[in-house]
Amino acid sequence: MNLVAQALLGGTVFALAGAVGAALTGPRVRAVVAGVSTSVCGAGGLLAGIALVDGQTYSATVPGLLPLGTAAVAGDALSGVFVALVGAVAVIAGIYSIGYTSPGSPLDHGPGSGAGSRTVQAVLPLFVTTMVWVPIAGNVTTFLVLWELMALTSLVLVLAEHRARPQVRTAAAWYASMTHAGFVAILLALVLFSSQVGGDSFAALRVGAAELPTTLRSLIFLLALVGFGSKAGIVPLHVWLPRAHPEAPSHVSALMSAAMVTLGLYGILRVGFDLLGGGQRWWWVLVLAAGAVSALYGVLQASVAVDLKRLLGYSTTENMGLIFMGVGAAGIFAADGDRPLATLLLAASVLHAINHTGFKTLLFLGAGSVLRSTGLRNLDSLGGLVSRMPITTALFGVGALAAAALPPGNGFVSEWLLLQGLIHSLPAAGSPSVLIAVAMPLAVGVVALTAGLGVATFVKAFGVGFLARPRSMAAGNAIESPVSMRAAMALAATGCAALAIVPAIVGPTLNRVAATFPTVCDGAPLQGGVTLQLTRIAGSMSPLLILCGLFAAALVIVVTLRIAGRGLPRRKALVWGCGGTRLDPRMEYTATSFAEPLTRVFDDVLAPEQDIDVTHHAESRYLIESVQYRQKVADRVEVALYPPLLGAATGWGRLAGRMQNGSVHRYLAFGLVGLIIVLVVVGVTS
Amino acid sequence: MSNGLYVQLLYLAVGGLLLSSVLVLWRRELSAIVRLLIVQGTLMAVVALLLAIERDSIELVVVAAEVVALKALLIPGILRRVLRDSAEARETEPLINVTASILTAAVLTLVAYGISRPLVRLAPSIETQAVPVGFAMVLIGFFVLVTRRRALSQIVGFLLLDNGIATTAFLLTGGVPGVVELAVSLDVLLIVLVLQVLAARVRLTFGGTDIDELRDLHD
Repeated sequence: MNLVAQALLGGTVFALAGAVGAALTGPRVRAVVAGVSTSVCGAGGLLAGIALVDGQTYSATVPGLLPLGTAAVAGDALSGVFVALVGAVAVIAGIYSIGYTSPGSPLDHGPGSGAGSRTVQAVLPLFVTTMVWVPIAGNVTTFLVLWELMALTSLVLVLAEHRARPQVRTAAAWYASMTHAGFVAILLALVLFSSQVGGDSFAALRVGAAELPTTLRSLIFLLALVGFGSKAGIVPLHVWLPRAHPEAPSHVSALMSAAMVTLGLYGILRVGFDLLGGGQRWWWVLVLAAGAVSALYGVLQASVAVDLKRLLGYSTTENMGLIFMGVGAAGIFAADGDRPLATLLLAASVLHAINHTGFKTLLFLGAGSVLRSTGLRNLDSLGGLVSRMPITTALFGVGALAAAALPPGNGFVSEWLLLQGLIHSLPAAGSPSVLIAVAMPLAVGVVALTAGLGVATFVKAFGVGFLARPRSMAAGNAIESPVSMRAAMALAATGCAALAIVPAIVGPTLNRVAATFPTVCDGAPLQGGVTLQLTRIAGSMSPLLILCGLFAAALVIVVTLRIAGRGLPRRKALVWGCGGTRLDPRMEYTATSFAEPLTRVFDDVLAPEQDIDVTHHAESRYLIESVQYRQKVADRVEVALYPPLLGAATGWGRLAGRMQNGSVHRYLAFGLVGLIIVLVVVGVTS
Repeated sequence: MSNGLYVQLLYLAVGGLLLSSVLVLWRRELSAIVRLLIVQGTLMAVVALLLAIERDSIELVVVAAEVVALKALLIPGILRRVLRDSAEARETEPLINVTASILTAAVLTLVAYGISRPLVRLAPSIETQAVPVGFAMVLIGFFVLVTRRRALSQIVGFLLLDNGIATTAFLLTGGVPGVVELAVSLDVLLIVLVLQVLAARVRLTFGGTDIDELRDLHD
């Protein structure tokens, strides 16, 4: 038994013990037991993932564990990255949950409900365990069982606060149907695959894939894309993200958005690049297009969102879109034969996935800290937290900087890599194919626009949510969160900072991941220590030097101003007072008003519903008593696509309902007719 | 016993099983239907006994005795009690009338012969040639469940279905092991007892046991 097995099994045993312990203990102990066991399980995953990336392998089969097949595990470097990501998020979320779910918080809705309830606390370590094992699965049966367990446990966690808020149930219903629709697609893809190849293990699929007809391979890939895309929140399958993420407890949101969603990417990489070995060019054009649409649509919705956690949910769609763009471009170039460039783009995608995991964990935990302290998610009611929750504010700021993809945040590094790959995709000599000549400049434009809107989004989230004066009583009464929550956020921020300043530490990891796709990738894309150097194209960047430069520039400006201002008279006055002396929170910018220009510019895409009510004075029509302004930005993709689908499902259900009149005889007749049909079919076919 | 006599007797008994099943559809008198069940249970015991003699198996003799005790004595006895307690002596108005029922039974028997061909082809022997009768009994039993209204008829349909399954098992494998047979029989006995109590409750609550009136189970 090597280190990987020891770490994984040890973590699993701890998690199971934690689940049992959490089910048996009282609320105060329960929070600690669940949090610690989740963290230990995550630490096991992190350790195992690092060992896997380091070159260790782990494979084992346990016959008889699953009812319809053999349980098999097989880990390689690709599994390792995702296991380590899940593990790292779990460590942080576990620590965080100790404080977040402890009794006595404003979110504590009494015994038996909320994030501190027995069920939720017992399921949390189980959810993490299944997520840790999903990338290690070595055959189709094991993968599907773990995938479904992951969906079910996460559904229980999403439902945590269903007694306090009825909209939690709606969100959970959306999540359940989307995740199960995705599961059906994955099930069809993998079962079709394994039945045609004649083997269940991933190794057998890998060998047998080459002999399958092209149409079948394309069908398998498309089904897998739908299934994994729904987990990753790719438009138009993203509808569950902005619903389930806000309604789940915040540490669960972090686990789902930073870890579980990333497993959708794992699925695409595993099936598309590893098992199917690259494949057709048009598959990846499709992936690139879906990614581009998701990135743009996600960031646009995020930029106008008012609910902080909904904003983060849409931001997940945006980042997954960027990642899928990189994967799609990598697939296109691999199919064209330019494997070094494919390697670079793939490395950029995986690096962005790692970075996204880092900052999204931090941001969701920060949002949870605000929510626990004030009970608010609405940015229009927040504000003024910088003086009341200074540590949360600072740490959220680190996350926002990373998510805005500005230097020196870690999101900047991977988006820079992605842009480098896309910009240098045109060949130095000779003319490129029409597709590349059209698609790549467009992709560059999409990434650039996404990055720009991302800055606006996170300036809004941070500026409106945390700075200025509190816009409500609840925000004004905010107090700093418990120490375990602050520690967890600090841990996440440290991870983000490390990735931002020395991204070269993950260089070897990315090289090993690339090496797991021999038919797609070639060579090591990244080199260097302090300075990040690209091997395929002339490009290098040093985040550390950028940071030093920024710091020096800031220092110079401050010192210059001090020197220049010496001797001038000083006057104390209100900041931004404009000469007035009485400032009211209602004079401040709100999230809605900050995003108003964007709403105007992208009016055709977003189609906001605006409603202005003017009440005139009773005495005179020329005097106005009050003006009410309401704005609602609905999700247009959802409004356009889903009602017909839901209508069809409801109609089908009505039809089935008409067949039931409650008569026992009719049900028995259904049974008899069904039996005869089955027997006749069997009799005729055999 | 000579081979020819064995075959004649076996097919006679199996034919009797099929005939008794069809007669259940024909008779409306509930007491007559219970008598038919006694005949059917006895014929099943005869089949088991014939197999026992052919194969020199003591175990099958025990099974035959068990079948007689349960299906020809105990269960009909329970049904008689149900009948005595209720005022309903006749299956007044089946959902499909008697003539159509018997024609349907003919069709179901044909279907049974058709669908059991692959099964017979697997191991053609004297006993397996008669397997379609077992299938036909299952289908006819199901048909009784679908079309008859009285609670007692429902129990009878269920018993026909079970008899069909047991007959198929006898003919295909020469009788299941005694322990399994005993377990299945006890299950059947238990279900009949439960249905007896249920029928009594239904009668107390609704004043009759017309199953078709119980149709609140829908949205």
